[in-house]
Amino acid sequence: MNRRDRNSDDLELFELLEKLGELTDATGIPELLGRLLDIYGLKTVAYLGSGVTAQPGQSPYLAVTYSNEWVDHYKAQRFVDIDPTVQIGMRRMLPIDWDELDRADEDVRRLFGEAKEFGLGRRGISLPVHGQHGDRALVSITSDASDRDWRYLRLHYMRDFQMLALHMHQAILRLEGKTVEQARLSPRERECLLWVAEGKTAWETAVILGLSEHTVRCYLESARHKLGAANNTHAVNKAGKVGLLTQLP
Amino acid sequence: MITIVEGAERDRHPALIDEMFRMRAAVFADRLEWDVSVTNGREVDRFDAEDPLYLLSLDDRTGALQGAVRLLPTTGPNMLRDVFPVLVPGGAPASPLIWESSRFAVNPAAFNAYERAEANHVVNRTTIELLCGIVEVCQRAGIEHVVSVFDARMARIFRTIDCAFEVIGAPTRIGRTMTYAGIFDMSDAMRERLGEAGRLLAPVLAPVDPRQTPAPASSD
Repeated sequence: MNRRDRNSDDLELFELLEKLGELTDATGIPELLGRLLDIYGLKTVAYLGSGVTAQPGQSPYLAVTYSNEWVDHYKAQRFVDIDPTVQIGMRRMLPIDWDELDRADEDVRRLFGEAKEFGLGRRGISLPVHGQHGDRALVSITSDASDRDWRYLRLHYMRDFQMLALHMHQAILRLEGKTVEQARLSPRERECLLWVAEGKTAWETAVILGLSEHTVRCYLESARHKLGAANNTHAVNKAGKVGLLTQLP
Repeated sequence: MITIVEGAERDRHPALIDEMFRMRAAVFADRLEWDVSVTNGREVDRFDAEDPLYLLSLDDRTGALQGAVRLLPTTGPNMLRDVFPVLVPGGAPASPLIWESSRFAVNPAAFNAYERAEANHVVNRTTIELLCGIVEVCQRAGIEHVVSVFDARMARIFRTIDCAFEVIGAPTRIGRTMTYAGIFDMSDAMRERLGEAGRLLAPVLAPVDPRQTPAPASSD
């Protein structure tokens, strides 16, 4: 598997994560989802969140690029009752590749057939999100990529959308007035960020700290997540702003 | 072979999951004497209610349970963050690209006579198969690292089979044994080293085939 350094070539992912972090009200969501479709060459993207609103017993939070016609049709046909991604997807840990769904059921075949007619892609992935306090979400993307491209793209999508799905979820929690606890950076996470801020690569940082490179990457990954940052540079900036980098152990 | 069972879909495999909980009682309560709660002969904790992912090692011929491990996302409730914060005074790792593994167990009933006699010297093949399964399932989901809490005995096993890990935070004596939090790299290189240690070069995860998945109503 390709383990690129995210500093250099994930500018677009970075841009999206940053925009998600800066969302101030829900009216900005459609534009952001549209940008996401452009960047990744997707047909549709859909966010479904549970336990994200303040009031209990609320219906799931929905943010989709689907046409109104499809949403209406989906509701009218009560597809939610048979949609295998929704039925179990949010409670899973593994993403669902729609190719792996059992299409033996006639209703399920009809659902996916009609979805295509209403503009969804032939292929899809649904990624579950497990939040801090039992809140859950499911982010589904669809694509019309060819068989050949899909083999490569699906791995790429898996990794990027693990991050995007969680950041979408946190943005929506924030918009709904739920506080997302800012996890503390561990001393090692801060140490690694500090050396990255000094311009060291992960490998150089590993040598300096006497750790393996993969461990340094793991600390940086965790630090990026805790700071809501897409890449190391962004994480260093954010940590610097809140004075985290001066608190070295 | 390793069979994947989503916690959310455990009703599809009631007999296997029940067997796993009984095996966990035999391993963690009876053999290792950990402070775990056993009800009706089954060791189940609150994280089993958080929709984790289970990897079950099944005998290729008989289908008998040989071992199991549980995976949880580090973005949600997990053992390192919620049960063992003492091991990570600076805070537990949390990332959508990091999962946590826990309740790693090899079925004592599945050891053969030779392995029982040599239990302290030979690393059980099931152990390596489960580790290979963790790497494969993580790669399938875009997960890059796994964190885990383990004792000195497991640390020795990891070293024996070249399963590289790095200790994070502060190892602490809990009960009778030193307890560590470590991180593991879910890379191709890791999978290759494990494959060589256990002579498990082909994928250990059973292929995904929805047609072979029993319907929710049926049992194993």
